[in-house]
Amino acid sequence: MPRFITLVVARVLADGPGIRRLTLRDPDGWKLPKIRPGAHLDLQVPGLGARAYSLCGDPAAGDCWEVAVKLEAASRGGSAWVHGLAEGAIVEAAMPRCTFPLEPAATRHVMIAGGIGVTPFLAMAPVLQRLGVDWVLHVLHRGPAPCPAALMPWIEAGRAICHETGAAPRPDLAALLGPYTEGLQAYCCGPALMLDAFAEATRHWPAGRARIEHFTPPPLPFDPSARPYTIRLASSGAEAELAAGDNLLAALRKLGAKVDASCEGGICGACEVRWLEGEPVHRDRVLSPERRRTHLMACVAQCASDRLLVDL
Amino acid sequence: MSADPSWLGLVEHLHTTPRAFLPMQSQESIELVAGEGIVGDRYRIGVEQGFYSEKPEEGRQVTLFEAEVLEIIQRDYKIELLPEEHRRNITTRGVPLNWLVGKRFHIGACLVEATRLSIPCRHIEEILERQVFDAMVHRSGLNCRILEGGTVRRGDVIRPA
Repeated sequence: MPRFITLVVARVLADGPGIRRLTLRDPDGWKLPKIRPGAHLDLQVPGLGARAYSLCGDPAAGDCWEVAVKLEAASRGGSAWVHGLAEGAIVEAAMPRCTFPLEPAATRHVMIAGGIGVTPFLAMAPVLQRLGVDWVLHVLHRGPAPCPAALMPWIEAGRAICHETGAAPRPDLAALLGPYTEGLQAYCCGPALMLDAFAEATRHWPAGRARIEHFTPPPLPFDPSARPYTIRLASSGAEAELAAGDNLLAALRKLGAKVDASCEGGICGACEVRWLEGEPVHRDRVLSPERRRTHLMACVAQCASDRLLVDL
Repeated sequence: MSADPSWLGLVEHLHTTPRAFLPMQSQESIELVAGEGIVGDRYRIGVEQGFYSEKPEEGRQVTLFEAEVLEIIQRDYKIELLPEEHRRNITTRGVPLNWLVGKRFHIGACLVEATRLSIPCRHIEEILERQVFDAMVHRSGLNCRILEGGTVRRGDVIRPA
């Protein structure tokens, strides 16, 4: 069963400090699955597994996807692999998933990016522009701006504003966001400290009006309601005993279930599994309350009941 | 051909895709190859690249779906499912697919035999990012093997053999 989409690296561009922008296509030029702005792509890195990168091209381009990747010395190896890819290389990816969607009902969108965290907003920008809604993108960066070629049209249109934080103090996020008003939707993608500041600045906003895209999985505290349990696969009846805090994803794979995974920290959505019976302790940052009634994220989920039956 | 067929239908849409996950593309005509499948489609035997190709099956040579079901899903579930989204090859109108398992029928100049009802799969929900599985239960189309190949065009007549 092919689990991945085969893609060819059609173009490689240097676009900003240590950043390469890749254009990916079907090897025969076939159309690619539709994507939503804010979606990310799990590229399969040989020997390392899946690595998630925001899609940064215009979602309306039906036959190509773009990712922009910064070479991170401290990364888990994915960015170095991407930077080693040449035009013509064949790569594999899982179906794109959108865990950082635009809010369709909003009339004004304020986006705050830290460095390479600009990528999901580059996909949102043309969509918002076509919708004719009010939007602004603030890009905070130290040194040269990320993805200048992709950003330039939006800077010239007065939609994107760059803040060079090496030369001037970092702007106050609350000032960039302004007070909450009806119809406003805010988004932030960047390093952990920026996300914390964004969360603080929007703490009193109505629920869901401020969205965050994580780069790296946040550390998860032990959940006191988690307890030892029996995990059972509905298809084969295979079972295993897990201690409170044991990794469910690893247990499922040991039982022979094929479950994708990427971030393994509950933010990317790759290891979503339908559950049938039991009381999952979710701990992810991606499922809606409604979705949690039927699905869990195997990488972080635990269990508060004696048994957990999953649809695998 | 039956002297007085109890049903007579039409080919409303034709779709193929060369590999799993990729969007189905609308075609004006497709080429059916007896015992193999559709030229350029992911489930053609010998060059398979479909999501279920590791479970070979004769009946995936060509698959059909009723246009009427798309309308029923819209009416009953308020889900708009387009002809290119159900991921079967031929969208039919006026053909009682669920009654044809084990039967032979003509699609244009071609002859096919229905092997089993198609069943919905969660894979389609992954592709569409919409929960359509429940809406497709018991009306997910028909799997067929190709007995006599040839060209099938949009608008071709479908009739009992």
